[in-house]
Amino acid sequence: MEEAEEHLTMSPKLGSEDLDPEVVNRMIILGPRANVSESELANELHLLGLPLTIKETCYGAMVSGKEKDVMKAIKEIRKLDPYNIFTKDRGFAPGDPRRCRGHRLGPREGFHQLEREFELLDYVGEALKNPRPVEITKPKPIDVDEFKDIVKKSIKEEKITK
Amino acid sequence: MVKVAVYPPNSLVIADLIERKGHTALALQKEMRKKIKDPEIDSPPMNITEEDPIKGLKYAAIEVPSGVRGRMSIIGPIIDEAEAAILVDNAPYGFGCVGCQRTNELSIFCLRQRHIPTLELEYPTSRDETMDMVNKINTFLDNLAEPKEESEEKEQEKVETKTVPAVADTTPDVEPNELTEDESVVEAKEDKEVPAEERMKTEEERAVSKEDLVASLKSKGGY
Repeated sequence: MEEAEEHLTMSPKLGSEDLDPEVVNRMIILGPRANVSESELANELHLLGLPLTIKETCYGAMVSGKEKDVMKAIKEIRKLDPYNIFTKDRGFAPGDPRRCRGHRLGPREGFHQLEREFELLDYVGEALKNPRPVEITKPKPIDVDEFKDIVKKSIKEEKITK
Repeated sequence: MVKVAVYPPNSLVIADLIERKGHTALALQKEMRKKIKDPEIDSPPMNITEEDPIKGLKYAAIEVPSGVRGRMSIIGPIIDEAEAAILVDNAPYGFGCVGCQRTNELSIFCLRQRHIPTLELEYPTSRDETMDMVNKINTFLDNLAEPKEESEEKEQEKVETKTVPAVADTTPDVEPNELTEDESVVEAKEDKEVPAEERMKTEEERAVSKEDLVASLKSKGGY
């Protein structure tokens, strides 16, 4: 019980990078049909030679660093499998005890939504690979005359049934 | 590059699609990061500062639960900054990071009130629906990317072709060329609404048909 309370009100010892507003964090998520594995992804990120903090995770990898370097890394890493590598912003730094699963008693916040969205990633990748032209139709309010006709019709129908 | 708000505000799929098209996704994580980097806050998002409820008051009245106002203090700036929006309705229970249905409703309402280009979609449950959703988002984002100059030129052409006769009928003293751009746009909007008004019947006809409707309802005992 004490442990649970402790982790909810945690005041972690943060490094200078954790408090630097220019440092951003990104999650790189591999789709179910990705041609690369998590370890390959982490290796490729290291081979880029950029000043980044890289963490291999179960869904792909997490990178942290200056925004310019992070975006460059993402641009390069997408080339490995453009339709099956997805990225997402993350507020907390990799390994932050307030979010990291290793310090929590259960799954971290955000895990459940990631799990849900992971189910769709296969189809999203497929749609990106084979784009189709679609028309976006905006719903319009019903015409007054048409609405009147519908009301009259329904009244008549009710009369008939009675 | 257009700033696009997404709902749910931490969506992976939508934010990724927006960035693939070169736009900026206004994700909630970026707002949260500002809190995390703030040295005065020990344990975000559990701590809030005295400024947060004040910021929240911009979007929700004082009677609104403090939880909604606190959440709106973080989501609100995203709504204000948005130049376009992609909203996903009917997501499964617990989907999204907000954790409050009233905040979700208020945020979507605020985004609709902004009158910015908005794409509203249903949460996909099958392969076809997902593919349709992705194609719709991509089409919507491509349309956003159209250069403004071209679209403005097109609008101006439309205004010129449509407003000149209307202006000449209603305001004979003012020459069409003297109209400012704003006025001509307003005229164009009014002009577009004319066909809808034409379809409407005269007041007498409307009154008669209303009486018919009331009579029929009374006969049913439902008025």
